[in-house]
Amino acid sequence: MLPLLILSPLILLAALGAVWKARPVHAALLLALTLALIALLYLAIGAYFIGLVQFMVYVGAVAILIVFSLLITRPGDEAEEISRRPSSLLTGLICTVPVLAVLFISLIRANPPEPAASDAPSATLQQFGEKLFTTHAPVVITVGVLLTAVLIGAALFARGVQGISSSEPFESGKSLPP
Amino acid sequence: MTPLATLLTLSSVLFSLGLLAVLTRRNAILILVGIELMLNAANINFIAFWRYGPPDPDLTGPMFVLFSIAIAAAEAAVGLAIILMVFRHTRSTDLNRLDSLHG
Repeated sequence: MLPLLILSPLILLAALGAVWKARPVHAALLLALTLALIALLYLAIGAYFIGLVQFMVYVGAVAILIVFSLLITRPGDEAEEISRRPSSLLTGLICTVPVLAVLFISLIRANPPEPAASDAPSATLQQFGEKLFTTHAPVVITVGVLLTAVLIGAALFARGVQGISSSEPFESGKSLPP
Repeated sequence: MTPLATLLTLSSVLFSLGLLAVLTRRNAILILVGIELMLNAANINFIAFWRYGPPDPDLTGPMFVLFSIAIAAAEAAVGLAIILMVFRHTRSTDLNRLDSLHG
C-alpha cells in the first residue's frame, strides 16, 4: 500500500505537467515520466510482466516517438498558446469536470470491497505464454496482422503519398512559409 | 481507503487529465499525449481489478492490457505518421489551421 500511496501523487503530478506545460517538448518528456511511473506502479503491485512491457513499449517506443515527432515538426507559438489558454481551459473544464464527477460518484456508490488476499495472484511467464498461444492465439495473430499493416501504412504515410508533392503547401493560403 | 479504491481514483483522475489535454491542446501531437494518458488510465483499471479482485487463473486483466498496449503502439505510430504527412503540406501541427474543408 505504501508504494501505491507514494507513486499515485507522483503520477498525477507528472500527468498534470504533461497536460499543462506550454512547451511541447517539456510536455512530451513529462508524458515519458508519467508512463515510467505507471510502469513502476505495475511492478510495485506485483504485475511484473506488464510493468516491463509498459517500460519497453510505452517509455522506450511511444514516448520517444512522440519526442522525435516534436523535434522534426515545428511546435506552435507558445505565447499564442498561453494567451488562448483561459478560453480553451474553460471549455475543457466544462466537459471534463462532469466526467470526473460521474466517475467519482460511481466509484463511491460501487464501494470497492477490501481485497481478500494481500499476495499478488501468481502470473508466471510460463502461464502468460500458455494463455497467449492457446486461448488467445487468434487474438495474437490478429494483432500481428494489425501491426504489420500499421508498419506498412506508417512507412507509406511518412514517405508521402504519390500524386501529392510534399514541397507544395495547401492551396488554402494559410500555410506558414517553410 | 483500500488499494483498489486508490487505484480506481488514480485512473479516474488520470483519464480526466487526458480528456482535458485532448480538449484544450491545439498541437496535434499533444492531443496524442492526452489519448495516451486516457489509454493508460484504462490499463490501470484492468490491472487493479486483476490484482485486487477475485482470483483469476485465466489472467484476463493482464491479457487485456497486453493487447491494449499493442493497439496503443499501433495507434501512436499511425497517428504520428498522419501528423507528419499533414506537417509536410501545411508546415504546422496546429489543428486550428487545418480548415481547408471549412464551408
